[in-house]
Amino acid sequence: MARIELESLQKEFGETVAVNDISLSVPDGEFLVLVGPSGCGKSTLLRTISGLESQTSGDISIGDNRVTNVEPKDRGVAMVFQDYALYPHMTARRNMTFGLDSHVSMSDDEIEQAVQDVGETLGIGDLLDRTPDALSGGEKQRVAMGRALLREPDVFLLDEPLSNLDAKLRDQMRAELTQLHERIGTTTIYVTHDQTEAMTLGDRVAVMNDGEIEQVESPQVLYDEPASRFVAEFIGSPQMNFLPVDVEGRSRPTVTTLQRHLTSPFPTPNETSLPATDNAVLGVRPEDLYLAQETEDDSFAGPVEMTVTLHETLGDSVVLHGTVANERIRIRTSQRPNVTAGDTIRVVVDPTRLHLFDSDGDTLAHAAEKMVQTV
Amino acid sequence: MPDVSIVPDTVNERLLTTTGDSQLATHAALWLIISVLILPIALAAVYSTQTTNAVYQITNVFPGSALVENYTTVLFEYNFGQYMWNSFVMATVVIVGKLVFSLLAATALVYYDFRFQSLIFYAILFTLLMPLPVRIVPLYQLMADIGWLNSFAGLTSPFIASATAVFLFRQQFRSIPASVVETAKLDGIGPIQFLINVLIPMSKGMIAGVTAIMFISTWNAYLWPLVAIIDRTNQVAQVGLRYIQGTGAEGFVQWNLVMAAGILVLIPPLIVLLVARRYLLSTLGGGE
Amino acid sequence: MTEQHSRLQVFTSNWQAAALLLPTLALIAVFLYYPFLETVQLSFYQLRVLGSGEWVGLQNYVQLFESGAYRNSLVVTVLFTAATVTASLFLSLIISFLIHEANRFTNLYLVAAIWPYAMPIAVAGIVLDFLINPRIGVVTWAIEVLTGFQFAWQTNGALALVAVIIAAVWQGLGYSIIFMTAAFNQVPDSITDAAKLDGIGRFQRLFRIYVPLISPVLVFLIVIQTIGAFFGGFALIDLMTSGGPSNATNVLMFNLYQDAFLNQRFGYASAQSIVLFGFVAVLMYVQLRVTDRYAYYGGA
Repeated sequence: MARIELESLQKEFGETVAVNDISLSVPDGEFLVLVGPSGCGKSTLLRTISGLESQTSGDISIGDNRVTNVEPKDRGVAMVFQDYALYPHMTARRNMTFGLDSHVSMSDDEIEQAVQDVGETLGIGDLLDRTPDALSGGEKQRVAMGRALLREPDVFLLDEPLSNLDAKLRDQMRAELTQLHERIGTTTIYVTHDQTEAMTLGDRVAVMNDGEIEQVESPQVLYDEPASRFVAEFIGSPQMNFLPVDVEGRSRPTVTTLQRHLTSPFPTPNETSLPATDNAVLGVRPEDLYLAQETEDDSFAGPVEMTVTLHETLGDSVVLHGTVANERIRIRTSQRPNVTAGDTIRVVVDPTRLHLFDSDGDTLAHAAEKMVQTV
Repeated sequence: MPDVSIVPDTVNERLLTTTGDSQLATHAALWLIISVLILPIALAAVYSTQTTNAVYQITNVFPGSALVENYTTVLFEYNFGQYMWNSFVMATVVIVGKLVFSLLAATALVYYDFRFQSLIFYAILFTLLMPLPVRIVPLYQLMADIGWLNSFAGLTSPFIASATAVFLFRQQFRSIPASVVETAKLDGIGPIQFLINVLIPMSKGMIAGVTAIMFISTWNAYLWPLVAIIDRTNQVAQVGLRYIQGTGAEGFVQWNLVMAAGILVLIPPLIVLLVARRYLLSTLGGGE
Repeated sequence: MTEQHSRLQVFTSNWQAAALLLPTLALIAVFLYYPFLETVQLSFYQLRVLGSGEWVGLQNYVQLFESGAYRNSLVVTVLFTAATVTASLFLSLIISFLIHEANRFTNLYLVAAIWPYAMPIAVAGIVLDFLINPRIGVVTWAIEVLTGFQFAWQTNGALALVAVIIAAVWQGLGYSIIFMTAAFNQVPDSITDAAKLDGIGRFQRLFRIYVPLISPVLVFLIVIQTIGAFFGGFALIDLMTSGGPSNATNVLMFNLYQDAFLNQRFGYASAQSIVLFGFVAVLMYVQLRVTDRYAYYGGA
């Protein structure tokens, strides 16, 4: 059993609060991703859980044990670092076994066998007698993971392990990490600044900002129902469009934006009402905007005229940057429109994909929709 | 040499003339300078093979016939065998002592956190202002009082604590990535095991460089052995030179033997320099 | 203490830290601090025999200031130091520059240029003692034959100083060259290329471009070599001139040795030690301030 409980965890460095009163439950076997911009405290939080940093206040439990003041080596954690942290003068094999004694008690033969097994699992069985300078980045990262695996920890802690690898390798290792997790099932906390990585890897993703967790949910829920403007901005690429908006009407609200060029219904869940305001922000993702010509769905609001300023080809889709009524908009479409800067296109919106935020960045409402059920 | 084919001709001309013929001058100058630097020692080596008669003939700069004879005389009759042995023992004791003590101290200064840590480090550094001449009188008195004059203990102990070594090792340790250190901490590895299995192997270059530098400076030490050693048989090779230069009847020094002694005394540090030059250069020059 | 450095502090036991530091601190206390403080104390005493003497306050220092012999030593030392450091640094600069410019054999040249670093100063002394011996030295003979000049340094004070300076420079070049070649290597190739493309001549390049770029190392060497020259001349003087003729090469260090161990004037010698300490302290302080300044301006 290795669930993790964080109770009111606080970590301060002098005047700076790096981790601000965080409480979190991680069920046994979950792959939790901590994501956020640089300086948000995700690495500090990870290091506090590991015991490398000691908390200012609060408690940590791993499994049934309260580990708040326990030495790192006795917490049942294993950690993988961004720069692999391999001893340059030792072979891969020795790197993995050095320091093993304090974690598991195995005979030398058992250790030999275990190293071989882990090596095979990670695809580095032939490389075990090489030193780090004879290994590529990906191979070094696997050795680092092998070292963690050998310790049979209750919890894996991974601190941006893929950030030093090139893009293709990163994709490959991401898939391998997921497979590994499905096979072994150890509770894992994974830190990254890359939201794509977070979304693809995590059972749940915790979005952090300024020492606090803004939202922790499954990736799909984060995407569909961001709890704050920060989360909405951080998750999803290209970034969500934010427009100043007037909200009118009670039980059947409508929103008006873009200097009255666009008015749209805002279907609310269970038809709850929204307060009328002229101080709110409308959020709509680029992929929820469509070219007028590509859809016949007349429930869509608009069209509005957009002057294109930039055409980006992604291969499977196209992102068009442009302006409507002095607001900058991005639209992402799977069509291949033959437009360039200066052209005008007509854009419509799916009202069931709208989000509303107040001026402080808190979420007011998400438009009701046929949501994809999280399994 | 830049790829001259892609560069316009006028520039080519200038590059070629500034780099082409000046290389000749550079090499010529260097050969000249190096010859001047080596000449005295080369002459000394030649003289060390001459008989005493030959060495007194000013214009005789040709190798002589007394090579073996001179060196055996110096080694045995003039006791340089004994002196050089003493120097070796002294150097070994000092080096081992310095390495062990400084490595331990640097470990404490980098991997621990305790009150007065900075103060202690500066207290160690401050000793750089206390070179031998500044403490020699009381040091002599101290040795006399505890009966360490004329002994290896007295000869070596003033040199074993080294601020420079502590400083260099501390810097070296600080350059080891924090994640490597934290990995060891996560495994609960103790400080001595960490020092022996991780720090020292990762600092081999600097340890070699520091050892080479220490050997050379300890071997070449003159003033303290002169003062602290009383019996000639316990003396080190450097001061032995003083003895052999003073021998011979009034005005009649056997220079061929003196030169042989000088060559003998030069050889060990020279070998150390040649063998360990890469490490020495990177330690002094700062990582190259 | 940067964040990186505090991450390194993974061990917590204070007594372990104490145990690790104890050997070094003990040795430092006994063989460095204690003698140093004793020197200070002794300098206020007049001693004939070790262990018993009378307090004389600042009398030793006053005697030093009034002593013609001491002032002579001061002058000799300053001359010796200035000449040695200037010549040594200038020559090392040229040699290091030439090595940097050479396109081949650089390793060979480097080793051939720095070997004097390994040479014991005593060896330098006795070798030159013979080679420039006024009666039978081949170098003095050659000079006399070629120029008619008699290099009578055993009787002529100024020439004695020159002889000692030559020996010191010869031995000290290695150390400076090591540091300077390292500094030259850190100058980006692109700067050299740009200068060559502009047709800037060799020595212009050296003095206008390289010297400013490697100036922190130059300053460091000036300080270190100066401190070294204050102390390091001892073996040379002892072997070649014994301070003479007529005290012409009686540097401070040699004077101290004589007063302490030949004349048994321990208190007086201790005062001289303290004065030397003063010089070193000032020089080290200068070095610290100057490198600080260069650090701010991003020196090499």
